[in-house]
Amino acid sequence: MGLTDGFPADFASTDADDLATYGRDWTKVYAPAPSLLVRPRTTGEVSEFLKRCHATRTAVVPSGGRTGLAGGAVAKDREVVLSLERMRAMSSVDTLALTLRVEAGAVTEAVHQHAAKSGLTWPVDFASKGSSQVGGNIATNAGGVRVIRYGLTRQWVLGLEVVLATGEVLELNGALEKNNTGVDLRQLFIGSEGILGVITQATLKLCRLPEKTDVFLFSVPTLQHVLELFEAARQGPFTVSAFEFFTDRCLARLMRHRKVKAPFDAGSPFYVLLEVEAASAPLEPWLQALFETARVTDGTQAQNAEQARALWAYREGISESLSATGLPHKNDIALPVSGLKTFCAELETLLAGRYPGWELCLFGHIGDGNLHVNIMKPDALDQAAFLQATHAVDADLMALVRAHRGSVSAEHGIGLLKREWLGYTRSPAEIALMRQLKVIFDPHGILNPGKVL
Amino acid sequence: MKILVTAKRVEDPESKIKVDAAGKGIVKDGLKYKINPFDEIAVEEALRLAAKHPGDVVAVSIGGKEVHEQLRHALAMGATKAVWVNHEGPLDQMGVARLLQKIVEKEKPDLVILGKQSIDDDQNQVGQYLAEWLGWGQATFASKADSLDSENEKNKVPGVIVGDGAKTVDVIREVDGGLNRLRLTLPAVVTTDLRLNQPRYASLPGIMKAKSKPLEEQTAQGLGVDVAPKITVTKLSMPPARKAGIKVPDVATLVTKLKTEAKVV
Repeated sequence: MGLTDGFPADFASTDADDLATYGRDWTKVYAPAPSLLVRPRTTGEVSEFLKRCHATRTAVVPSGGRTGLAGGAVAKDREVVLSLERMRAMSSVDTLALTLRVEAGAVTEAVHQHAAKSGLTWPVDFASKGSSQVGGNIATNAGGVRVIRYGLTRQWVLGLEVVLATGEVLELNGALEKNNTGVDLRQLFIGSEGILGVITQATLKLCRLPEKTDVFLFSVPTLQHVLELFEAARQGPFTVSAFEFFTDRCLARLMRHRKVKAPFDAGSPFYVLLEVEAASAPLEPWLQALFETARVTDGTQAQNAEQARALWAYREGISESLSATGLPHKNDIALPVSGLKTFCAELETLLAGRYPGWELCLFGHIGDGNLHVNIMKPDALDQAAFLQATHAVDADLMALVRAHRGSVSAEHGIGLLKREWLGYTRSPAEIALMRQLKVIFDPHGILNPGKVL
Repeated sequence: MKILVTAKRVEDPESKIKVDAAGKGIVKDGLKYKINPFDEIAVEEALRLAAKHPGDVVAVSIGGKEVHEQLRHALAMGATKAVWVNHEGPLDQMGVARLLQKIVEKEKPDLVILGKQSIDDDQNQVGQYLAEWLGWGQATFASKADSLDSENEKNKVPGVIVGDGAKTVDVIREVDGGLNRLRLTLPAVVTTDLRLNQPRYASLPGIMKAKSKPLEEQTAQGLGVDVAPKITVTKLSMPPARKAGIKVPDVATLVTKLKTEAKVV
């Protein structure tokens, strides 16, 4: 029996455009070369198809919204791309348990809109929410802009339906909040980047939408002041729900790409977007102190929901704008928050020394220790020379991250791109255990081969 | 020179607007609000003019206490004083213009700038009534000669040009196929179009100062205005839902359908 015999006519495609589109994610550096695209509509189809792939030792790349930045969804070696995009059904919201059962292909923003009708939300939120899918979010334990307030995707998944490489279907944890009955296998699949199984459904945990938030954008003179502003925000009379920063170079590319005006008359080297919930006291004294201590040089507070969206767009449009206006080499690193100040000082020295005159675009979620270090390809350099140059500097950067006990990949995952740096954050013993787990779940190694390990 | 501007409270267009059960109004629950975007442009223009021709910028809004939000927004942008006409209940365009007329007579501004319309009712009448009843010249739909990407816009050059000695104001209006430039003797009424300027974000120091700026309360009764509406809304309905599109398998089918069903070729 062939791989696709007996499936509906539109189950599989070998159309060249389809293969080129579905063979890559937002990581631009790999040329897509899948052999086949399949788009199942049911868990039964996923199971039957994987069973055949297992029997024939056919490599499979599980695929969601393909917004990843580490090549986790790239098919460059004749693999079959298994896209979950047709499985996007959502149950009605359980307003008593605050849960929602969805299929893996449901788009993150659609989940938000669905839950919002009941005054609830799934607080996994990031710039690519309009394309990213729940299955991919879970498989990459996605982070985003509200981690500082709500934590990672892992905290908001109650149950999973997973299909193993053999075709076996597992239902893990159902919709239980509490279930202390042995090893929690569900957690193994969250963040596994598709190497242990294919997530087909999930029971999501929801929370109430915040009543009222205030959104601020600040001009800040230096990176050290950004960190001081964060310290001040931690002590402010409110709950911080987002603390994001970006540099003037990010803003310049965003203004070019999105054709928007500058937020302030005068430019500034750094900008901070602060969102706070439930201020318990008037904010004026706190704001006054920011200006008096010169931590900020200018700022604004959104006067209505539309301005709040416009201020958020300055931050959320950056990743897209960098890719649209050039070729960024991306690093997504995380540090213990308490060590950020010393790390950032050393990082600035390192980058200035190793990339003299290059365009560095720094931004990120700094409040949870996460920095996105983007190096833009100079026009004069060809792509191969650029990748070679950045690779050399990555070794120094990752060594600095290791010395500060940070992570070589905060929220983008390991995928193809960060594989050689895995050992900078995880010990040999840990990696050996991961390999053993991989063999148990996927004995023939058909799921996302070459990724992570 | 002294300038008076309006700051109407309107529904945020991103809110989900639904017609209420009676079919004469909208469901207010869960709606977000903002300053009418045309009025926001009026405030911005007034502030730019005030930077060149110093004087007060007075923002006016009519409604319940909730319009303080929009008045504070105008004050945070830089207006110097707010006037709140405390009024609950229905108002038509003439009622609004009568109230504004009284405020203008008290405040005696050299120039009134207001949005050409508000984005909730889209009437486009208040500026015209106001100018007529004041007996002042009016220039509607003020635009900028330069584009909104121009250096002039970046440098916050006003699009409305006040002449030497603040005796006249020149207003550029977009008309079919060109520009129409009017010169009005002050005092005058100007209404703003979208391409006049890009409003600023209120600065944090401005937002903090706004809390202590004067906000004066007036009422229709106190102003001696009868605001009983002469116009009432008898029916409000949603636009018809769009039909779902269809997919065609090939170009030939598309052409056939364009001919036989859409009848456009």
